[in-house]
Amino acid sequence: MDAPDPPIFRAVTSSTRLLYQLLKAINFTNKVHVEITEKGIRFSTDHARVMQGVTHWDKSLFTSYTTNIPAPEESNGNPDDEDDAPPPSVIFQLSLPALLETLQIFGAADAAARQARSDIDPYRSTNLRNYRSDAFSNQTLGMSNGTCSLSYNAEGDPFSIILEEGSVKTTCNLTTYVPEIPEDIPFDIEDLGFKIITQAKWLLDALAELAPASPEKLIITASKAAPYLKLTSVGGALGSGGIDFAQGKDLLETFSVRKKKWSQAFKFDMLKAANEAMRIATKVSLRGDGQGVLSMQFLVEVGGEGGGVCFLDFRFVPYADREEEDDDETECEEGEHGMEVDG
Amino acid sequence: MVVLNFTLSEDGVAVLHDALACMFKFSDEVCLEARKEKLMLTTLNISKSAYVCYSFAATRFFSGYKFEGSPQYREKFSCQLYIKSLLAIFRTRQGGGETAYGRDASIERCDVAIDDGVGKKSRLVARVSFRNGITASHILPYEVKAPTHAKFNKQEARNQWAISSKTLRQLMDHFGPGIELLDINTDEDSNLVNFTCFTEKVQKRGGANSETVLKKPLHTNIAVEMDEFDNVQVEDKLHIIISVKDFRAILQHAQITSGELATSYSNPGRPMKLYYAADGILCEFILMTVGEKDAREPRQKTARPNASAKTPRPELDAASHRASSMSNSACQQALPDPTPQTVAQPPQQPQNPTSSRPRPPPAFHLRPPQQPPPGTAQSEDSLFMGPAPHELDDDRQWEPINPDEDEEEEENARLEWNSTSDPNISTLRISSYLQKSSTSTEDTPSDRLVSGLDPTQRLSQVRRFGLFTD
Repeated sequence: MDAPDPPIFRAVTSSTRLLYQLLKAINFTNKVHVEITEKGIRFSTDHARVMQGVTHWDKSLFTSYTTNIPAPEESNGNPDDEDDAPPPSVIFQLSLPALLETLQIFGAADAAARQARSDIDPYRSTNLRNYRSDAFSNQTLGMSNGTCSLSYNAEGDPFSIILEEGSVKTTCNLTTYVPEIPEDIPFDIEDLGFKIITQAKWLLDALAELAPASPEKLIITASKAAPYLKLTSVGGALGSGGIDFAQGKDLLETFSVRKKKWSQAFKFDMLKAANEAMRIATKVSLRGDGQGVLSMQFLVEVGGEGGGVCFLDFRFVPYADREEEDDDETECEEGEHGMEVDG
Repeated sequence: MVVLNFTLSEDGVAVLHDALACMFKFSDEVCLEARKEKLMLTTLNISKSAYVCYSFAATRFFSGYKFEGSPQYREKFSCQLYIKSLLAIFRTRQGGGETAYGRDASIERCDVAIDDGVGKKSRLVARVSFRNGITASHILPYEVKAPTHAKFNKQEARNQWAISSKTLRQLMDHFGPGIELLDINTDEDSNLVNFTCFTEKVQKRGGANSETVLKKPLHTNIAVEMDEFDNVQVEDKLHIIISVKDFRAILQHAQITSGELATSYSNPGRPMKLYYAADGILCEFILMTVGEKDAREPRQKTARPNASAKTPRPELDAASHRASSMSNSACQQALPDPTPQTVAQPPQQPQNPTSSRPRPPPAFHLRPPQQPPPGTAQSEDSLFMGPAPHELDDDRQWEPINPDEDEEEEENARLEWNSTSDPNISTLRISSYLQKSSTSTEDTPSDRLVSGLDPTQRLSQVRRFGLFTD
């Protein structure tokens, strides 16, 4: 199979902060699927098959990136990438909390400083939320003179992360697990019910506005007429609420709705899990397909080398039945949709 | 139909939020009472020792205010809400001024409407419009409930003073840690007003013999020149004691709201009123004070905090019988107070204000190991009740302890004199039940009546037989 010498994968980067942030954004489960291809690494997490988060680290994020992926063999159990069939890839699972911990070794001091800064004065109960994503500020990004190298020597070997800073060298070997066949939540790009691009900040604000009532469900409605985008929370202990963009259509940079209305209900906690991504991202693209699956794609701006960007992809599967009156209408529409597409 | 409809500007939201945050330190719920000319937020803390009332003038505070009386609510409308949910709605949002995208997320206006009526869900609908065009609407359920107000007799309150709240707030920094009570007294000779803070918390030490020592044997006294105060009219050397926690909460709010804080009070044990006003908002706090004699009862381990003090509560004027029964049950819950240390906590039981009985002294006069708070006048050596002769005839002293009430405190129950504000069983006849609905001051727990024994003869009548030596 592999020559013992060249490792399957080896990459070096000087900042773990970004990687840490991106992984933290999809941190809602214990295991993460890692897929290494020539182009980059893809991390994906899945929660009960109804929620999925993916982050793709392009090779340009690293200072050096080499792969020696073995060509796929007949008997090889490695499943191919779903999106690109030909490129060979290596897939395994890692423990996400462990991975996050190791990446934090360097940034530990920053985390403490951040905690201290966000201390809330006990007398005032106003929430001071820090909008500035401090993932990319100088002090958090750059470790003074450290390097982090990720390597995967051979199949079955542990995934090793070596962090060197000054004279301290930390080696972490994370056990790799056999991958479960990761099926992406199906999202039909050809069959978009709506597409909205807006700033991630507004989405974060909207969810923060609705969160205090601890709602159970969040109903997302995109409609051609006002209110263009409406988020309604129901089932809360302290009441219900809603956010609408009726007056703020220009906040939605791109706005297109196929039929009169697209409305689905999701579990509020699932969307809340994407808060971290909303916090660090600049823009978000919301898309809903005919089946009702919601896709949230966050654009994270990476400072530094040439203003690169990173994407965080989330997909959510909605509740099957809703009790609201709109149900019948929506379902009919979707039914039609489905038939049109299939036909 | 919309019973109440008002609009707040961004500043209004901030002020309302501060008021709610202050109230949150006292209680979890707030009672909103709307009238044609003003909106009142009132709350009472769980031990009924503090009452907070904020009045917002309709025209001056709100950008728009409209109260439409419905047939059901002609003059006023009142409901009860959770402060937590209101706080979440009315919090100030970050402006995000540095964003390059122009629009910020600060509040432009906030419209609140209360929808009530037959066949309609009772809902408070708050629509917050942000400057960037996003609109958030929150729908809160509420409970229609009459508020309880505390009455304060202005005529009775002869003592008063006023001071800049900032100065007072600075004083608080000097308070020691872990203090509970604040004793305010004046000294005309030296032209000083003293703020003494201390705590009555005791700690058990030694397993077998329940020795108790003061947990924090520290008295901090801050003397302020009387000139710093305005409008001082106080009885010299009068000590009045209030809870520090409440005082701190009040000062915190006073500092950001207004310049001057005014107080008026009468005797220790009678309620004390602190108030200040700002543009369109009037803030009043009525606190229960601890009587000077009752300030130190470190030995009291019984569940009844009122064993220590005989001080009456502010007379609560309940607007309806419902409220009185609610306060009754809340009172009952507060009674078996499991914290034996908070002895000097103001009592829950009121004294019938029209009672002519003199106040019986507290059960134990134990000298605490440390220097007692200044100004305490009682004899400190007596371990037993040493009432003044004329007070001996109080039949209430001789009441048996009712063990049934202290289910939780069985181990602490001791035979003690229940010479407290517990209403005398013998007088608790039907009349007191009737009184309850009118004044609701007799928060007599009904079960106590049942288990008590009526004395068959008044003490005063048997004294002449020489049965009691004194």
